[in-house]
Amino acid sequence: MSWMRPLGRALIPIIGALAFSILLLLLVGANPFEALGLLVKGSVGSAASLSDTLTAWVTMVLAAAGLVVTFRAGLWNIGVEGQIIAGSIAAAFVARTVEGPVAVMIILTMLAGIVGGGLWALLAGVLRVYGKVNEIFGGLGLTFVASSLATYLIIGPWKRAGVASTGGTDPFPRDSWLPTSGTLRVSIVAVIVAALAVVAVYFMMRGTRFGLRLKAVGQNLRSAVLFGIPNKRYLLLAFIIGGALAGLAGTIRVTGFHHKLVSTPSGAHGYLGILIVLLAGFEAKWIAPIAFFFAAIAVGSSQLPLQMGVDSSLGGILRGVLVLFVLLFGGWQARRAGTRLAAGSAPPVETVILPASPGGEG
Amino acid sequence: MSLELRDIHKHFGPVRANDGINLTVEAGTMHGLLGENGAGKSTLMKVLSGFHAPDSGEIILDGTQIRASSPQDAIGHGIGMLHQDPLVFLPFSVIDNFLMQSPGGLRLNRRSARRQFEEVCERFQFSLDPSASTRSLTVGERQQLEIARLLWLGARVLILDEPTTGISAPQRVKLFATLRALAEEGMSVIFVSHKLEEVEELCQRVTVMRQGKVVGHAEMPTPASQLVEMMFGAPVQVEAAQPIELGDSLLRVKDLSVKERLLSIEALSVDVRAGEVIGLAGLGGSGQNTFMRAVAGLVSPAGGEINLDGKQIAGLPYRDLLDVGIQYLPAGRLEEGLVQGLSITEHFVLSNPDTPFFVDWDTAAEHAATAVTANFIKGRADSNAEELSGGNMQRLLLAMLRPRLRLLMMEHPTRGLDIESANWVWSQLLKRREDGTAIIFASVDLDELLRYSNRILVFFSGKVISEVNASDTDVEELGFLIGGKVRENQ
Amino acid sequence: MRKRSGVSVFLIVLLAFALLAAACGEDTGDGATTTAGGEDTATTAAAEGLKFGMILVGPSNDRGWSQAHYEAGQYLEEQLGAEMIFLDKVNVADLPDKTVDQVAQDMVNQGAQLVFLTSDDMRDGALLAAELNPDIPMIWSSGDNAWAEGEAPAPLDNLGNIMGRMEYGKMMAGCAAALTTQTGSIAYLGPLINDETRRLVNSAFLGASYCWENYRGETTPLEFTVNWIGFWFNIPGVTLDPTQVANGFLDGGADVILSGIDTTEALDVAGQAADAGEAVWAVPYDFDGACELKPEICLGVPYFNWGPAYLKVARAVIDGTFTATWEWNGPDWTDLNNKETTAVGFVKGDGLSAENSSTLDQFIAGLADESINLFVGPLNYQDGSTYLADGETATDAQIWYTKQLLDGVTGPSE
Repeated sequence: MSWMRPLGRALIPIIGALAFSILLLLLVGANPFEALGLLVKGSVGSAASLSDTLTAWVTMVLAAAGLVVTFRAGLWNIGVEGQIIAGSIAAAFVARTVEGPVAVMIILTMLAGIVGGGLWALLAGVLRVYGKVNEIFGGLGLTFVASSLATYLIIGPWKRAGVASTGGTDPFPRDSWLPTSGTLRVSIVAVIVAALAVVAVYFMMRGTRFGLRLKAVGQNLRSAVLFGIPNKRYLLLAFIIGGALAGLAGTIRVTGFHHKLVSTPSGAHGYLGILIVLLAGFEAKWIAPIAFFFAAIAVGSSQLPLQMGVDSSLGGILRGVLVLFVLLFGGWQARRAGTRLAAGSAPPVETVILPASPGGEG
Repeated sequence: MSLELRDIHKHFGPVRANDGINLTVEAGTMHGLLGENGAGKSTLMKVLSGFHAPDSGEIILDGTQIRASSPQDAIGHGIGMLHQDPLVFLPFSVIDNFLMQSPGGLRLNRRSARRQFEEVCERFQFSLDPSASTRSLTVGERQQLEIARLLWLGARVLILDEPTTGISAPQRVKLFATLRALAEEGMSVIFVSHKLEEVEELCQRVTVMRQGKVVGHAEMPTPASQLVEMMFGAPVQVEAAQPIELGDSLLRVKDLSVKERLLSIEALSVDVRAGEVIGLAGLGGSGQNTFMRAVAGLVSPAGGEINLDGKQIAGLPYRDLLDVGIQYLPAGRLEEGLVQGLSITEHFVLSNPDTPFFVDWDTAAEHAATAVTANFIKGRADSNAEELSGGNMQRLLLAMLRPRLRLLMMEHPTRGLDIESANWVWSQLLKRREDGTAIIFASVDLDELLRYSNRILVFFSGKVISEVNASDTDVEELGFLIGGKVRENQ
Repeated sequence: MRKRSGVSVFLIVLLAFALLAAACGEDTGDGATTTAGGEDTATTAAAEGLKFGMILVGPSNDRGWSQAHYEAGQYLEEQLGAEMIFLDKVNVADLPDKTVDQVAQDMVNQGAQLVFLTSDDMRDGALLAAELNPDIPMIWSSGDNAWAEGEAPAPLDNLGNIMGRMEYGKMMAGCAAALTTQTGSIAYLGPLINDETRRLVNSAFLGASYCWENYRGETTPLEFTVNWIGFWFNIPGVTLDPTQVANGFLDGGADVILSGIDTTEALDVAGQAADAGEAVWAVPYDFDGACELKPEICLGVPYFNWGPAYLKVARAVIDGTFTATWEWNGPDWTDLNNKETTAVGFVKGDGLSAENSSTLDQFIAGLADESINLFVGPLNYQDGSTYLADGETATDAQIWYTKQLLDGVTGPSE
């Protein structure tokens, strides 16, 4: 029974969004069932499409896993998008300058992404902890900086010979690409890394003193102090871990997907990660299936214009509708929760959206 | 306005907080609701005031059944509740808090609201500055603000949940006068308390609850012993503190000064010996808590020395002081003592400094279950902190104290607790003196200060204005020291 | 227990998908094979009609580059009874979760026997997709990988290139601008910087200078400014905003804007200024219908007509005679706007005066009979180095790969 509530929390907005999308499809004169069928076929219907979906899934999952840590610490790490970009840039730097066998390059580019994303998040953390700059604003600002830096590098120091285009750098040497097999684009290395990250975050939050203390810091900073928890250190650590995982996602975006640095390497996977974590009720164990759904839509929706001739914006609209329903539903739940919790002081994250399931399992 | 509750049931999981409650309150009366902590009083009142929806049962107001699904609904029907900790928004000014939830949509008529606020204040002789910051108000003044607001919103039934905890004696006198005046105007007042003498002083009729049920009604006056028996089933003996041989000098505070926005402490010096109990008396916000927080490393002192066992500790953070044996329990149990959303088991794990990196949850749950039983906490190891009643929160906080301490500091250790719980708390605390632990506590309960302290420091405006041996003084003198000085200074 | 419940949600989500798939599963499942045998499909193509893929970098209705390709695809459908599957807005900003090669792969999996990848930006994806599907013919338009004499040959048996000789179109555009300008200042709204775009800016400049000096007899040098936005079209937050850049040109004194980008901002901005009473004109680019948005200030549009070249490729695929070549097709000088024959054309706009129109015809006739050849030395680059020595006629390679903008053009070369 314990899974009923989180399941409903995730499924109700998804079903709502699907119903709304069916309506939309009818309005544009497309057969909604054919469209949904295409979505499914285009995302999981063949080895190739499943492989594309998994490729998108990997980076969403990594970003979301990092966000579980920061959300649990009570932080709205909106800057995750910038941390992915920072990780991409760092990985691109290594891929462009270091030569080595594939295995070495995998490790080096991933380390670079971890460091790049972690440091970028640490910046937001220092602004928050020492500069009293709300992490939402700090994060948004740093995302803008990271994104500008990527564009600058692409049309500046890292541009293709004789070319100044924001389209991207030269492709990395093949040794820096994440290895794949056959015509499938997904790298098993990336999938393993993502799965390990989710499992690690799950056990860290559930089974370790660190995770418990982080949760205490996130729920009630003042009580955490009286439990003897060095809260500044914990907040910064949460930022670093969240940023490192986002940076890892950035690495995989450039070494396993684009194979070069592009001006928007994150593909909004950070923002999607936030959505995934909200739907997951901040629990690592729900990330994988929810991210899979988002990845399937992102990848499968390109089939609608391809095969039905409907406008190619429809996939984006579908995603937008989903976001809207999550927020609406979340707001509705928060209002209900608010009535219940009004007598106490609800923690900041919880008041904005869904209450976490009762203790012991997070 | 007359009020009737019929067969109210409210369960939280397996806990039957209200189990078929019937209660009638006549218009223009003051009705006492007595019961020990966890008896279900607060739950019942939250049902009545719209915070909780009852599982079943009816609320009938002047003969009509009403349904209040939110506090706003309830106040719309004329039911207003004053909470144990008044729900004010600290960052806002007094008048903004007053205007909160005001009827009439988005447009606020500030000028007329301000005039109405001043009228209400005048009627009940509240001296509240509308533009002051709410943060600067004492708990008593926050109550006044809340009462003014509820009346302005049209409350005809006023519920007060343990209103006298945390306020000073003069403020209590003023509160009671206000309540009497309201009852004379035809208002129904429900007074939730476990303090017999207050109920005796105020109420015409009393309902006693125990373990989620009503165990009896009584018309006042009724002998106190009879009420106590209804509350606890058997008469309770108040345990006297046994004197104990004091040890060597333990804590030496010299010329301590702390600067905070609303209060500064200057040149405060105290010596405390091992095993000694120091009571801090004074009106709320006179510097008692600031002093303890400075010693605990939670606020940084601007100057002076703090020595523990001859070692300078001023400026060290609390988490380091914890390891040398200093612990501090705040008054806001859920605000800064416990963590909402975490279970009792998780609290015990958090408080245990020897927890390994990988937590063994099965063992932890067993330990927590044992501790829950041993400390008479009404709740389960997997209950979340916020599900506990005030008294059980305090039991949990005490159970989480480190086993060996040099110095324990507490704000209002028995605030909101019934006699039985308070006795239990003090028996636990006094036991610690045998290990040489010194105790410093702040309280507004003069009996408590006199009964358990060796020495009492009386605070006023950031200074210790007198220091008395508890055995050499009595309630009158202490009340004079606290209240008399106030009169002189006003 | 807890783990299992996580898995169960995953399964439920999958199951929901599977059910949906079953509910609409009348599809033939052609996606299952990743690389269909090229020869087989090529032989069956003739019988049941060719199925080809078209990957567009921008929207299919951009009234520019992408629409020109899209309409060429429709032309193939008409001419051959072929079936087009297309996806537009294939770029990292609009389609973040698919790469070009994945889209090409999707099309191949859907049964496409020929795929057009229609942007310079698709080089990496085109090479990868062609490499992974060696039996499927593909065309990377505007590219140079199949040109053995090119600077970056990457020969693949199944990846050819097609491009139009737009230099001529740009010369005409430049000429029309130079004939019309009242301020003597012309601006060029550039996309990103590469060999192709430098080539086209230089062509426009050469045409403009020629007409400025020879037909108008001006002795003061013509002002010719280029500014680049960073990509083929506006990507908010990444590129410069072309509307702002175009407004900047007008503020800086230019009265004719030549567009080098895929979309129509130059004409839009000039149109707004003209509505406000200013004497300004624009020359759009890429698509023969581009002037329709604001004909009265449009001097004309140089456009690509991809249809004939694409038709030739499609026929070769049907016949099984496809070979990967690099083709750079010129205009049909006998009939510049003949959609059956020309690769590049120029449609005059209403903004061009009757007098200037006949002067432009004179210029075009000179280009046609080769009495006017503007890629002849002496020509210098911006930094003063020699591009073409006195009397030297440029080779194709020299035109294709111009390393800098020419002396006289204001604006960055890279």
